[in-house]
Amino acid sequence: MFSRRFDMGVKVGGAVAGTVALCVFLIGYFGVRNDVADVGYRPQQPVPFSHKVHAGYTQISCQYCHAGVEVSGHSPVPSVQTCMNCHTVVRNESPKLKLVRDNYEKGTPIEWVRIHKVPDYAHFNHSRHIRAQIDCKSCHGPVEEMGVVSQYKSLSMGWCLDCHRNPEQRIVGARPISGIFTGMKIDQKNMMDSTFLYKPLRAAQIAAVQPVVVPSYGFGQSPVPAQQVHGIPQPKQAGVGPENCSSCHY
Amino acid sequence: MAQSMSDTNRKLPILWIVLGAAASVFIVLVLWGKITWFSDQAPVEFLPNMDHQFKAIPQSGSKFFSDGRTQRDPMEGTVARGSTVYPLGMGDVDKAESFNVNPHLEKTEFLMSRGQNRFNVFCSPCHGYDAKSNSKVVERGPWPGIPDLTREQTAALSNARIFHIVSAGQNLMPSYADKISPTDRWAIIYYLRTLQGVEGTDSNAPTVAASNSSTTGSAQ
Repeated sequence: MFSRRFDMGVKVGGAVAGTVALCVFLIGYFGVRNDVADVGYRPQQPVPFSHKVHAGYTQISCQYCHAGVEVSGHSPVPSVQTCMNCHTVVRNESPKLKLVRDNYEKGTPIEWVRIHKVPDYAHFNHSRHIRAQIDCKSCHGPVEEMGVVSQYKSLSMGWCLDCHRNPEQRIVGARPISGIFTGMKIDQKNMMDSTFLYKPLRAAQIAAVQPVVVPSYGFGQSPVPAQQVHGIPQPKQAGVGPENCSSCHY
Repeated sequence: MAQSMSDTNRKLPILWIVLGAAASVFIVLVLWGKITWFSDQAPVEFLPNMDHQFKAIPQSGSKFFSDGRTQRDPMEGTVARGSTVYPLGMGDVDKAESFNVNPHLEKTEFLMSRGQNRFNVFCSPCHGYDAKSNSKVVERGPWPGIPDLTREQTAALSNARIFHIVSAGQNLMPSYADKISPTDRWAIIYYLRTLQGVEGTDSNAPTVAASNSSTTGSAQ
């Protein structure tokens, strides 16, 4: 009845339309999910700062720059003064740091692009998680390996609840590189040898390191030998997080 | 002629099927979240219900204030509740000996581990984990003489003087008063004494301090 050409056109056209419709559906259905749309957001920062160099190579602890995270709900982005602690001497002529020097002289902040953001109606408290000895890596990923930082976890509500219900499967125990205070002394010699577990270690190294660097105060273990000293943020025992709405939406 | 046409027709679909299958596997993995799609573009928000509210969020921009900053500078002379300001400058070495009084916190394991923790965070980048200044920063950067903290001259410094150095800075070292609380500074000093292997004195006479400053000041 129809010509062979018309028949072929219907077949090909139908296949193309079906594929397009399927793609639109898939992208519309899954593409708006936070773990697809938000993870991998890697904006260009005004200063080409590399966490790989600072946290990875020179082993500067997270809290050296993000100081105050253990007492504040907001994890502070370091001031220009913190950069200039070292960069008055180190690479003090570098053109990459021109913006830092200019801002330091003018007393104005650098306009870093924010990557991790929960919606404004949800309140995430950094200090509560840091004091429960949950490592930065649990949510921010291996930042010390990232040249340019990207979002690593979805930060969706389902992701929050997932960890609050089954933390032992998801949280990373406190690593010394993060500067999380656990209330336990660390063997100084072992610490220098193992360079903080910031890069994947061989099995033999892990066996040597684990008893010291991954101590037994993690989830479900006995609480750290905490003591009330005025002026020191007390570590808290990690456990199942709250699930009531008003914990985060207040 | 007809035979060759049918050959190409038979070959092409196989190629397309393989390509299509690979593409769909890739799309499925990306949409599943198994492959991270890196992008410097801000995530698309289909329904930004109340995600961005007109309110002051720490360290973010503001359209309300003319300088574009949410954080406001405090009035001159105000001190935030609970915070302490270290009043001495870098040069007030003599005053520091009497000004910084050791609170004699109980040297429990908790306090010493706190000192270790803060030392490793704030001091070790330059001074090294063992206070011998063999850190990666020193290896990499052109630092003119970061002192070995376990040497005799430094071990002879009084607690009050070390507290002064941490709080006000010395030579190239800036003040860490904004980063380390006073209690933590004392904890760091107690811990540093264990690395030095000395008991340490609470405060020395100003003359001793002056001679120390000439030896430690040689770095610059």
